[in-house]
Parts: sequence; C-alpha cells; structure tokens
Amino acid sequence: MKILIVLFLFIPFIAGLCSFVLKNKRVAEILTFISSIVSLSISAAFLIYLMSERGSAGVISIFNNAVVIDKFSAYIVLLVALIYFLSSMYSISYMKLAVKNESVTDGEFFRYYLLINLFALTMLVAPILNNMALYLIDIELTTITSSFLVITEITEKSIEAAWKYIVVVSSGISLALLGTVLFYLSGNLHGVYGLHVSSLDWTVLSAHSSYLNKDLVKIAFILIVIGLGTKVGLAPMHTWVPDAYSEAPSPVSAMLAASLENVALYGIIRYFNIAGGSTGFNYPETVLVIAGIFSIFVGIMGIINQNSTKRLFAYSSIEQMGIISLGFGLGGVFGTFGALFQMLAHSLSKPIMFYGSGNLLHKYKTKEIKNIKGVIHTMPKTAFLFIAGALTLVGAPPSAAFIGEFLILLESFKKSDYFISALLIILLIAAFIAILAKLNSMIFGVSDGNATIYDVNNVQLKTGDFGTASLAPMAIPLILTICLGLYIPLPLKSFLDGIVRIIIK
Amino acid sequence: MLGLALPIYLNVTIDLLTAFILLSSFVMLSSKWISFYIHAYGIQSFLIFILTLILGIETQSVNLYMVALLTLLVRCLAVPYLLLNMMKKFSIKEEINLSIKIPASIIMGLILTVFGYFLIFRLIHNFAPDIIINSAAIALSLIFIGFFMIISRYTTITHILGLLVIENGIFLFSVILTPTLPLIVELVVLFDILVTVVAMLILSIVMKIKTGSLSTGMLNRLVG
Repeated sequence: MKILIVLFLFIPFIAGLCSFVLKNKRVAEILTFISSIVSLSISAAFLIYLMSERGSAGVISIFNNAVVIDKFSAYIVLLVALIYFLSSMYSISYMKLAVKNESVTDGEFFRYYLLINLFALTMLVAPILNNMALYLIDIELTTITSSFLVITEITEKSIEAAWKYIVVVSSGISLALLGTVLFYLSGNLHGVYGLHVSSLDWTVLSAHSSYLNKDLVKIAFILIVIGLGTKVGLAPMHTWVPDAYSEAPSPVSAMLAASLENVALYGIIRYFNIAGGSTGFNYPETVLVIAGIFSIFVGIMGIINQNSTKRLFAYSSIEQMGIISLGFGLGGVFGTFGALFQMLAHSLSKPIMFYGSGNLLHKYKTKEIKNIKGVIHTMPKTAFLFIAGALTLVGAPPSAAFIGEFLILLESFKKSDYFISALLIILLIAAFIAILAKLNSMIFGVSDGNATIYDVNNVQLKTGDFGTASLAPMAIPLILTICLGLYIPLPLKSFLDGIVRIIIK
Repeated sequence: MLGLALPIYLNVTIDLLTAFILLSSFVMLSSKWISFYIHAYGIQSFLIFILTLILGIETQSVNLYMVALLTLLVRCLAVPYLLLNMMKKFSIKEEINLSIKIPASIIMGLILTVFGYFLIFRLIHNFAPDIIINSAAIALSLIFIGFFMIISRYTTITHILGLLVIENGIFLFSVILTPTLPLIVELVVLFDILVTVVAMLILSIVMKIKTGSLSTGMLNRLVG
C-alpha cells in the first residue's frame, strides 16, 4: 500500500514534467492520459481495499500518520481522479482545436500540460493529508496552479479572471488559516479535564473533540466556512467563480467545478465533524444551512440573468454546492447520504456541460448564448449529449442528481423544516426552468432544419462533430449518472453509509 | 500560550515591539508611493523577527529560533527584494490609485484596530493575561488592515502587500497565542508565502505587458 501511495503522488508529477521537457505534443497528450488512468486505478484500489475485509479498520495510515486515507478521503480522491481522467481525454481534442482556431502557441500548449498535471496532483494530495494546516497550504497551491491554467490563453479578460481568483482565494485561505490556528488554540487551553490536544491532525482533533474550548471552536468554524467557502464558491464569497470558470479552457473549468469544489468542501466537512463533536451538531449545521440556502439563491439569480454558456454553468456550480452544503447542514442519515451522493452526481454531470460548451465554443467561436443557434443541426451528437447532460444536471429522473436532491428534500421533511423544503423546491424548479430554457434556445433555436447556420464571424458552419476524444468524455459520465439514477449498487451504498458514520458519529 | 508570569522587561519589550508593528502598518496606510509600502513591510517583518527571537530566547524553544531565522530570510529579505527588484526592472514609478483618501484610510485603520481589540477581548479575556490580549489584538488588527488595503488600493503590488500584511498578522497571532505550533506548519506557511508572491508577481508582469499598467482599476470587463 505504501508503494502505491508514493506512486500515486509521483505519477502526475513525472507526467507533467516529461510533457513539458520533451516538447512533443503527441507524447504530452499520451503521458497525461496514461497518468490519469493510473491515478484512477490506484484510487479505485484504495476504495476496494477499504471495502475489503483487510481494510476493516477503515483507514490506511502511513508515514507516521502524516497520510491517512479513510473512506471519506478515498471517495473524494476517486471523484478527483475521475474528472482528471475525463479532462485529460477531452484535452486531446480541445487543445488540438485551440491550437488550430485560437492561435495557442507551442509554449502555451506545453505549459498547459505541465500545469494540468500539477493541478491534478495538488488536488489528489489534499484529501489524504492528515494535518489540517498542510491541507490548507495544499489548497493554496491548487489556487496557484489553476490560476496559471486560467491564463492558458493570455488575454485581458483571462488575466482579470486569474487576478481576481488568486487575490480573493488567497485572502480566503488566510482566514481559514486563522481558523486553524484558533482550532489549535482551543485544544491548548486548560479545558474540561486540563487535557491538552496539541495537534492539528484531524484524526486527533476528531477523537478528542469534546476537550476543545467551545467559544473558540464556534469562531474558528465560522472562519473556516468563510475561508474554505471562498474556494468552494459559497455565496457571498463566490465572486471569482464565474470569471475563472468562464475564462479557463473547458477541461480546466470542469476540473475546477467538479473536483476542486469537492476537495475544498471536504475540508469544511472535516471541521464540521470536529466542531460538531465539540459544541454539538446544532451550531455547525445552522451555519451550513444558511450558507447553502444563500448560495442556491445567488446561483439561481445568476443563472436566470445569464448570457454566456460557461458562466451559466459556473453559477449552476454555485447552486449545486449550495445544495450539497444544505444537505450536510440538514444532517441526519438522509441529508448526509444525499449530500455525498449529490457530490458524485455533480461531478458526473458538470463535466458534460463544460465539455459541451467547449465544443460549442470551437464550432461557433463564441460563448454568447444568443449567438449560438441550432446545435442539433450542426453537431447532432454533441447536442444530444449536451441536452441529456443538462437534464441530469437539473435533476430530472433517472439521474444521480435526482436521487441526491430527493434525499436532501426528504431529510428536510423528516426534520419538519417545511420552510426549507418549500424554498428548496421553488429554487430547484426555478433552476430547472432557467437552465433548460437557455439550452433550448441554443440546441433547437432554428425553426427550419434546412436553414444555413452561421457562427459569430458570419462564416457558414459545416455539419459535423469533432471526433471521439471530444464525445467520449461526455458519454461516459452520462451513462454512469443514468445508471446510478436507476440503481445504486450495494457496495457503493454500504461505502457511503460508512462515510455517513464517519461524519456524524 | 505564554506563561502567565513574564518578567517585567519582557512585558515592556513585547508591548513596544507590537506597537511599532502596528505603526508600520499605519505607515503603509498613509503613503501614496509603492516603494514606501515595501520598505514599511520589510521593517514590520524585521520587528516580528525580533519579537519571535526574544520569545524564543525566553521560552528556550529551538523551534522558535528556526522560525525567526526563516522569517528573517523570507519575509524580511527575500520578499521585499523580489518586489523592489521587479519595480526597478520595470521602472515602475506609479502612484497608487486610492479609492479611499489617506486621512479617511487612517481613521478607518484606527476603527479597525479598536474593533480588533474588542473582538479579541471578548474572545480570550477569560484565560489570557493582559499582555497577550494587547499583542493578539494588534495581530488581529493587522489582518483587518491588510484586508482594508486590498479593497481600498487599486494596484497589484498593494494587493500583494495586503495579503502579506494579513499573513504577518496571522503569524504574529500564532506566535503570541500558540508558540507550540508545530514547526512544519510555520515552514510550509513561509514556503506558501514565497510561492504565492512569485506567482502573483508573474501575473502582474503579464498584466503589465498586456495592459501597460499595474492598476487593477481597469479590470472591469467580466461582469454578470
């Protein structure tokens, strides 16, 4: 297992470095793809080990407890590796077209492949670190690598997005660091039994959470939610999200939206568990419910008033993260299970949308919704996958998102929070209508099937899709999310039950 | 936390040093020239280095010696050197665009300091001696002033310095309140500062080449 973890940490690093040094486009693509497959299989191996009899202790801990993988970490690592795999496949098609259409230079091409591997590496490392301060620093490193990915194509807009991203998120992370220091302080006071909890490891803090000073833990948890919430994109700290997601290349947008947010939310939930053990779960749950509801509201307001494809899905991510934190905030078995399942559903649905927008961007040379018309005639396969993906995103059955949102709603009914249930239903319907109305005009927006369709430069468009590398990354998650909507396999269910027991023990 | 019975000379020294640290952040608020900011930041980091060293000598902790040394190298020498070097290379002599004028900034800084004091007093007065409350309040107000610098000045360099002042505040806070914080944490925080500053400098150079200025006032294209 030790060898496997070391391999896991080195493969993306080596792949990135080789693709930068060797200066061969084909080699860079293949190396990144292989590295992502290896990462995905190793993270699946963690999962299988933890489910098997030998891993019944529930944790893999090596290097003197510096690296601890329990079921929750393994789950997040799997989600990250899955998006890494899909994005590395989609990059092959995206970057080829970007070189052809948008004059991406060779230097920018190799820099992209270096950074996408490093970005994946920093995200894969974050959930397996035991020390919370190291975790925060790793999150800061993800900010730096991904802000340089945002300026893959150097334009004034992308520089603006990257600058906003790095300033807003770095100041957020420093607040989270302050929260971590306060958590450390809360264990170092003369507490209930005069016991000191002199550690920043979440395993230790979680096991001794009842010895922490309650007042300090309350302030510290708020700081953590604000700080890491900046990274997750919870409103009102979401201001960088639409800018960075819309200016980044599509594969990177998918990684930002579907895996980085999960990695940051993972940290909040670890602290949620510790704060719950110290002050009782009522307090942290209230914080997450308020943050969640407000994020859903802000996300949907952004969706309704949107005229750019990628910004639309960025606001949709804010909304989805709001739903997930609402699920964790409502607590209970259904709420937590639903939130975990919704994480998976979001990670499967969101890449489809960003990859689809990438295909549209290359065909129509624009991100404006009103300039994109009649995709069903120009790119039939992309259009089908895109609209099917949108249906799974907004939670139409059968899809994983439907199950997740339904379970969260069920928990709110179970707890008799009818105000929250009513609000959630109204907001979900609003998101459903808004997203599908926008996509409807893009996909089917031409009355006559024989009409000629022009792109933004008034060049007549030829019919045809871009090839397997652009379609397979959309088809694989679509099939998975529909299957999960119809049937949740028993091992997955018992695995998620195990995570629920870790979070709300 | 530090022992309750510190010798009197140490009390005076800590008070004096933290007062000067606060003063250096007010120097930043009261200036219009970028090089002033950078020098004030260097002086602030130097004062924090002396404070850490004194605390290290008093508590005889090797960790604090290491942290002090690295603070001297990274915060006090490397970061100001990088910033000044870049200013010289690109011959930047810009004044800073202020959204809030200097007198109002100073009054705002005073309000934030008082706010920080009350916040920290409410939080830790049950179990901390006065000296700790004073220094922790100054650390917290450094964090607030850093945020205020980011939102009230329209230049990339002041954004970087605002973040650095926030980091200084957090560092002071952790040194005063939790001197036993594991060494590895301080090490990676310093590494992180260095990496972040370099990354942000590269971004601002790219911005300077592309837009011809370091002002962030023109970054208003992405809305909605």
